[in-house]
Parts: sequence; structure tokens; C-alpha cells
Amino acid sequence: MVKAYGSGETRVVALDSVDVDIARGRFTAIMGPSGSGKSTLMHCLAGLDTVTSGQIFLDETEITGLKDKKLTQLRRDRIGFIFQAFNLLPTLSAIENITLPMDIAGRKPDAEWLRRVVDTVGLSERLKHRPNELSGGQQQRVAVARALAARPEIIFGDEPTGNLDSRAGAEVLGFLRTSVDELGQTIVMVTHDPVAASYADRVLYLADGRIVDEMERPTADAVLDRMKDFDARGRTS
Amino acid sequence: MSVLKTSMRNFFAHKGRMALSAVAVLLSVAFVSGTLVFTDTMNTTFDKLFAVTASDVTVSPTNSDPSDETPDTGRPESLPASLVEKVRKAEGVKDAQGSVASLAVTVVDAQDKNVGPTSGAPTIAVNWSPYELRSVELTAGHEPRGPTDVVVDRDTADKHGLKLGDELRTIAATGDFTTTISGIVDFKVTNPGATVVYFETAAAQRGLLGKEGLFTQVMVDAEPGVTDDALKANVAAALGDGYDLKTAAEAADAGREDVAGFLDVMKYAMLGFAGIAFLVGIFLIVNTFSMLVAQRTREIGLMRAIGSSRKQVNRSVLIEALLLGVVGSVAGVAAGVGLAIGLMELMSSMGMELSTDDLTVKWTTPAVGLALGVLVTVLAAYVPARRAGKVSPMAALRDAGTPADGKAGRVRGAIGLLLTAAGAAALWTATRAAEAGPGSLWLGLGIVLSLLGFVVVGPLLAGGVVRALGVVVLRVFGPVGRMAERNALRNPRRTGATGAALMIGLALVACLSVVGSSMVASATEELDRSVGADFIVQNATGQPVVPQAQAAVEKVPGLDHVTEYKWVDATITDPKGGTFEHGLAATDPTYPQDLRRETVAGRLTDAWGPGAMSVGSDYATEHGVKVGDTLTVAFAHGETVRLKVVAITSDESNVDKGAMYTALSTASEALPADRMPQSALLLASARDGQDAQAYQALKDALAPYPQYKVSNQADYKEDLKDQVGQLLNIVYGLLALAIVVAVLGVVNTLALSVVERTREIGLMRAIGLSRRQLRRMIRLESVVIALFGALLGLGLGMGWGTAAQKLLALEGLGVLEIPWPTILTVFVGSAFVGLFAALVPAFRAGRMNVLNAIASE
Repeated sequence: MVKAYGSGETRVVALDSVDVDIARGRFTAIMGPSGSGKSTLMHCLAGLDTVTSGQIFLDETEITGLKDKKLTQLRRDRIGFIFQAFNLLPTLSAIENITLPMDIAGRKPDAEWLRRVVDTVGLSERLKHRPNELSGGQQQRVAVARALAARPEIIFGDEPTGNLDSRAGAEVLGFLRTSVDELGQTIVMVTHDPVAASYADRVLYLADGRIVDEMERPTADAVLDRMKDFDARGRTS
Repeated sequence: MSVLKTSMRNFFAHKGRMALSAVAVLLSVAFVSGTLVFTDTMNTTFDKLFAVTASDVTVSPTNSDPSDETPDTGRPESLPASLVEKVRKAEGVKDAQGSVASLAVTVVDAQDKNVGPTSGAPTIAVNWSPYELRSVELTAGHEPRGPTDVVVDRDTADKHGLKLGDELRTIAATGDFTTTISGIVDFKVTNPGATVVYFETAAAQRGLLGKEGLFTQVMVDAEPGVTDDALKANVAAALGDGYDLKTAAEAADAGREDVAGFLDVMKYAMLGFAGIAFLVGIFLIVNTFSMLVAQRTREIGLMRAIGSSRKQVNRSVLIEALLLGVVGSVAGVAAGVGLAIGLMELMSSMGMELSTDDLTVKWTTPAVGLALGVLVTVLAAYVPARRAGKVSPMAALRDAGTPADGKAGRVRGAIGLLLTAAGAAALWTATRAAEAGPGSLWLGLGIVLSLLGFVVVGPLLAGGVVRALGVVVLRVFGPVGRMAERNALRNPRRTGATGAALMIGLALVACLSVVGSSMVASATEELDRSVGADFIVQNATGQPVVPQAQAAVEKVPGLDHVTEYKWVDATITDPKGGTFEHGLAATDPTYPQDLRRETVAGRLTDAWGPGAMSVGSDYATEHGVKVGDTLTVAFAHGETVRLKVVAITSDESNVDKGAMYTALSTASEALPADRMPQSALLLASARDGQDAQAYQALKDALAPYPQYKVSNQADYKEDLKDQVGQLLNIVYGLLALAIVVAVLGVVNTLALSVVERTREIGLMRAIGLSRRQLRRMIRLESVVIALFGALLGLGLGMGWGTAAQKLLALEGLGVLEIPWPTILTVFVGSAFVGLFAALVPAFRAGRMNVLNAIASE
């Protein structure tokens, strides 16, 4: 797919013929320096943004070309989101935030599943609290729980640990990992943190709107090395 | 960058929000300046009219009262023709002309349709004289030359489709006479709506005064070089006592005074509404600036951090307010002139002709408008400006995020409750008042205090009320409703202030509708209780019944009796020597059957015995008069007689309160025949079983006299209800202005809420909230704010209305009736007001780009 802004002289290509498959039941990380187009890629994949050309499929459904109404439904029913910050509605309690996508859809949450998700992220004690009564880590865990609770086909995370200290970040990433391993969840996460990327099964490297490399079963050190490598090449070229 | 520059930039950066506040200022200022322009224009119109019609000096009979348009006898006081010659001989007199004018006439066309004005302006019948040519110009036909000629003014001719040769019948106390239109005149100045007919002098004397050789006024013009005052002195010396002399200036003053009463009522009523609009506007302005300051907290913090002083920040906000005030007021003054023109058009359509040629904009009008608009705006912005000054430099560094839940302070709650309680206590005192005077002071105090209390305590009530409304209204809408409820509760102070703006208008609506419907209910109840007559014949503006119309009524078959009711002016002296200028109600002895008055002492029917009368209980108490006392009654223009008090009627009544009754025969013995007043009204009862036929026959009999209306009891009640209803509708119409301003406030609050919650909205859209759901959420929030305001306002207003009724019970407003249909309609209507206010903000929220919303910092 291609994503470009403007036209003619001022045309800026954010995604330059990116072709990518995201495997079901796996944890994929998208890495790259600022301005590499990793957030744009995620927004397009998640149906938040439109592409200039190309096609995107979620399972059998083509999301490119869907009208806003269908896209909204798709996001509501089949996709989960975790953002870097401002994930929760301040007026709703933790549990209300978690069940919000299902409430909006008018679906009843599966009580059994909900309990399991809540237990997994360790929030059972704080469900009645408002977001401003929770710590940053707790807030992100609520966001993870919300993404998981609706059993979406895929969860997109945009720097989900970017605002957390390393301990809280590790906790959240641990939950994401667990949900892939134990619950079979598919997750795509955008990050620039090699440690975060090391939790994934596969890392895609993006630079200047292209996928330049990928790595299976990454470790933090290997990711870091690869990043340094890119940086060095970037400087010499 | 200077403070002024920053303010300017901010002002223009928030054009949209400022525009709404400016509209509020505009509306209020427009109402004030429109009222001023309108009343000034009316004054100009009348001044011009008086200026051209008045002669240098006017001689009238002493006892003619110019404000009493219709003398009770139906015949104007007159002067002998010989007086004109006497005046002519006075020193400095160039010319003197006798004139005949009567306002006690009704003119009908060949189809018996009244050609008089419907606006309350009079029909004036005058004799044709050269004097008239000062104000009019004959544009068709010829002047009246003989007893069958009449000239009519152009406006009336056009309105009623009259042409030369058409017949007009004039109904005067001395009888009817028919004339043919010989000419039509155009006014050279604006005639504000009177119907004027001109007769040949002898015809006017015969037809209006009963015989030739009489005038109602002598118009005197001075020789060159003689001042009006000198002329007046000369004429006075020549005539001696017993005449009323006025210079042109005095006559104009007297005329203006007549009109001024009517104009003042209108002026103060409209200024009152302008005041309400201002009050509501203040809420809007306070809210707008509070929101702007809240939104700019970081920016202000930054300015403080880089060295702006508190004062500078404070001043920059006030300068923005000043700009807003100036822009709103200038536009408001312009709109006010437009409003005045619109009002003039409206009056024209109701028969009161006003010409835009007379449009008068005094320099004071824009001055007052601007001063008021700017002052109010700056004062309203003062509190938010101070808050802006208090923003600490640290605010720049903190993550602003969403504004914290504004917890309304405990102090605020205490003050609000205290005010409300004081208001309630004052209202309670008002309901217990024994006299209307102090009672109404308590009522006013109670209204002001309770309103203030509600405004202060509003944000605290918002929590409870919105939650309660949520259970009833919002839960149906599931999670969207719940979010709307939470959003409305998020900043109770803002919700409170927004709702309060709506509350004021609706409180007044509720209060007035309670008083209005209690008025109708009380009057109906009293009519049922006291009126025994089947029919009542009267004129809408209080003109008495001419003898020929009365004769027609008396001839109607199927009537058991007709009761005349005459009002005879008299001065009454009690045994202790106290005097009382009042009138006696001289009626037929059948009166007590037609109107059942309760007595506190004696038997009312005895009052129709020889030398007897009754008095009202208020008079009896005040003057220490008891049954058996004898009063000295000096009839105006008649004899002085001694009458014995045989009964005291209760004054706890609306019908004929305070009337002193005596027999017609008692009055006629004391008065010369030509001084006997006409009947103020007639009461009649049908023979058993003939009600319907008699009613129809009465209507038929009065067809040639369209100025009188005959009603049976049911129609009379219906008319009463219509009258009150019409009055209320006008008031509601004006209050709509306050509600418009309040709606602007809701729009403003919502628009800002949408901007503030951009990220939240983006998040919700990202996780699957559809556009429709988003729009619904904002609409519901708006509805809930509107319903909150309505609930408070209606509750408050019903409290005021009930207190007012309890107080007015002293004046006979004995029945409390809460107009539930109106109240409910207004409540439901306010939900629609909320929906309407949310239209644009909801649309804009729906259009927000999801990605931008998420990315916005």
C-alpha cells in the first residue's frame, strides 16, 4: 500500500509500497525511527486512516474503501486499541471503560471471559475506580483489559508503554505476551523501545516509509544492535 | 507584544465563541435602544401633531377634563357661541374661532360596521373650520357644506374601503344621524391612528352637542408680536373666571401627558424585558470567559512564566471583554433602530399609524446602549479575569489534560442555601401579609433572594438533578446516555451556570402563567358565585351605553328585566367630617338579583329605598361608618343630599369592589336631567326558559350599535380567559428573548465542551463509537442541561407564582390554579430547546477527524 500526503512538489510519501502480512495469534512489533511511518502504518492497518493506493484485508474483509459507518463497526467489533496515553474516559470507572466497546455495540460482555481478563491484568480490586485514581501503569492495564475484553481479532498498540517507567512497562508488556500465549490473541505494537520489541514474536523495521528488515524471535540486544546498524547506515548514506 | 495586541489576537482567535456572546450583548442592547428609539419616535409624532393642531390659546369650559375622553353624560361640556365674540374683542386677538369636538361618538358604515380604530385610539368628531387645514389637506371631494355632509380621514377611508358618496352613521349620546361622505382629507403630519370625521359646524353642534349655538372650545390666535402668555392674560381678563385657558405650549404638554402614561407603561415593560435579557446575557458572558480562561490555562501560565504580571493577564482578559462589549453594543444599537422600525410596523398593522419619517434617534440612545452594553460585559468578565490573573506560572509546565472535576465549594453551597432559605422565608412572609403594600415588598425580596440562591446553589443541585433526570430520561439510551450524564456532571459549575440562564426565563414564564391562570380561575369562580344576570352589555373600552342603544335593549322580547348601572360622581362626607371623592353606583332595584354582593352588615336591597345607600367595607372601616349613619352626598353638577347607610358590602371581592349603591331614582332627584350620566353597562336576565332566544334577540337588537358587546355568562368567561391569555402571550413573546439568549449559552457551553474533549471524542471514535452515537451523546448532554434549567426554573417560578397568588388573595385572587398543561409543555419544550442548541456542536463533533482528534495535544 501507499500513503502520500499532498501532491506535486509538496507530495510527501509516508508509506512507500509497503506490503505486510500480520500472522494470526502472534505478537508483531513495528520499529523504526521517528518519522519512519510506523504510526501511519498502524493507523492504516487499524482502519483509522485511509491509504492512497493499495488494499488492506482483515481476515477476509477488505477495509480499504469501507465507509465510515462500516469502518466504525469494524473497529468496534473486531479491533482493539491501546494508545500511548489518554486511553480512558475520565468520567467512566475502570470496569465501565473496559466494557465500553461492547456497551457501545449493545452487546453483553461474556462474564466468564471478562473475569479472566480482569484477573489476568490484576485489576479486580480497582474496578470501581476512576482513571484519575489509578497509577499510569494501572491505567494502561485497564486499556489492555479493554482491548482484550471484547475478544477482537486483532489488537493495535501505539507505544503502549511509552509513558511508563520500566517496571510498569514490563508488567504491561508481560500481559500482552501472556494474552498471545494463553489467549491466542493477535497483537501489533508500534514502538521504538528495543526492550519492548523483544517481547514480540517478530519485529518489522520501518525506515522512510519502507519495510527494510525483519527479525524473528528477537532479543533486546539483537534489536538494539540492528537499530545501531540502521542508524550507522543512515548516517553514512 | 503589548497587552492590547495579545487581547486583540485572542479575541479574533476565538471569533466563534465571541460571536455568541456578542449576540447576547447585541440582543440586550437592541432591546434597550429599540425601546428608546420607539418611544422617542412616538413622542416626536405626537409633538408634531400637537404643534400643528394647537392654536395660540385655547379656551375650554373649566369642568371639562381632557383626559376623560368620554364624559359620562355622553355630551362634552360646552361654551355659548356668544363667547367667541367676547374673545375676539380682547386685546391682541387676531382671530378666534369656536370649535366643536367630541370623542363620545361611534361612527359606523352602511353595514353597521364600526369604522373607528381598533388600537384604542379614539374616534374624533369635529366641525370643519379653517383651523383644521393646519393639520390636513382636502384631497378628494369638497368640505362639508350641509347637514348631510361628512369628511373623513384618508387612513380610515382606506382601511374600511370608504369612498365619496358612502353613508356614515354617527352614534352620539344625543342620537344617531346619517351623513354622506363629501370629501376625504390627508394628514400633513402623522396621525397616530385616530379616526377623524368632520361635519359642517351647525350639523356638528346639533349632532354632537344637542343644539346649535354651542362650542366645546374657542381657538384664539394672537396678533403679530403678542406672545401666547400675554394673549392668555388678555383673554382671561376679558372673559373673567370660569374658563380654562391654555397656551399652545400648555396644550401640547397636557396632550403629551395623556400619551405619556401609555408610553411609559410600554417603555418600562420593554426595558424590564431588556433587563432580563441582560441578566441572562451576563451568565453567557461569565461562562464564555470562564471557559476561555480555562482553555488557555497553559498559555496564561506561560505568559506568567515569561514575566507577565497578574495585572497584565487580568487586564488582557478585560480588554477582550471590552472589545466584545463594544462590538456587541454597536451592533445592538443598530439592531435597536431596526427593532424600533419593526415595532412601528407592528403597531401600524394593529391600527396605530407611525411613520418612519418621524424616526427619532437621540444622541442619548447610542450613548445609553453602548455604556450599558460595555459596562455589563466588562463587569461580567471581571470574575473570570481575576481567575486568569491567579493562574500560576507552574500551570504552563503541568500537563493540562482535561480540566479536573470542578468541585463546587462548600462555602458556595452554604451561601446559596442561606440565600434560598432567606428567599423562601420572605416569600412565606409575603403569603402571610395582611396588606398588599408591604406584602409585595416581601414578595419582591423573596423573588430576588431565591433567584440568587438558586443561581449560587445551582452547581450543587446539578449533581442530584442531573442524576435524577438521568434515571428518567437518559438510561433508555444505554451507555451513550450514561456518558452524556457523566459529561453534564463533569463540570457542575458550568452546567449550573448554563442551566441558570435558562432558569431565569422559565421561572418568569412559570410564575406569570400561575398568576394568569389563577386570575382566570378566581374570576370565573367569583363570576359563578356572584353574577346572577344572564347577559351583560358593555363597551370594550368603557364607553357608556347611549340611550338609543339602551332603548333597543329594553325592547328585546323575552327579557325579564334590564338593569341600568350608572356611575354618578359625588363627594361624600361622613358624620365626622371626612370627605371622600368617589362615585355612587346608581342602579335599578333589580341589581342585587343580577349581582349577588355579600354584605357584612344590613340588607343590601334596602339601599334602593328612598334616601338610602350602601357603602363598601373598606370605606366603612376607614371612615368609621356604621349601618344607620347618615352621609352627606354632594353630587357633581347636582344637589347635595343626605343619605342613610343601610348596608355594608364586603370588599373581599373582585366584582364591583368598593361600590356604593343607591337607587336610580335617588340620583335622578338630585341631578338635572341633562346631567344624568349614561349607563356604564347594562345587565339583563331572560325569562325562564328563553335564554337562547333572548340572547339572539339581544345580539340582533344591538347590531346597529357595534361598539357594544353582549355576552352571556359562558361567553363572558371565555372572553376573560382570552384576554388574560393574550396578555400572557405577549409577555411570553418577550420572555422568548431571554430564552434565545439562554439557548446561545447552551450552544456556547457545548461547543466548548466538544473542543475540550477532542481527544476523548477521538478515543471513543477509535474504539467504535459511531458518528450517530457521538452526536446523540452530545444532544443528550444538551437536553439534560436544558431540562436541569427548566426543572429549576419551573419549580422556582411556581413557588413565586403561588406566593404571588397567596398575596393577591387580598385583592380577590382567591383561587390558586397551577396550569399543569402549560408547565409540562414548557418542560418538554425545553428538551427540544436542548436538542436545537446541540445541533451545531453535535454536527461539528461528528465531523471531527478521528486521527486528528487522537493526535491533538
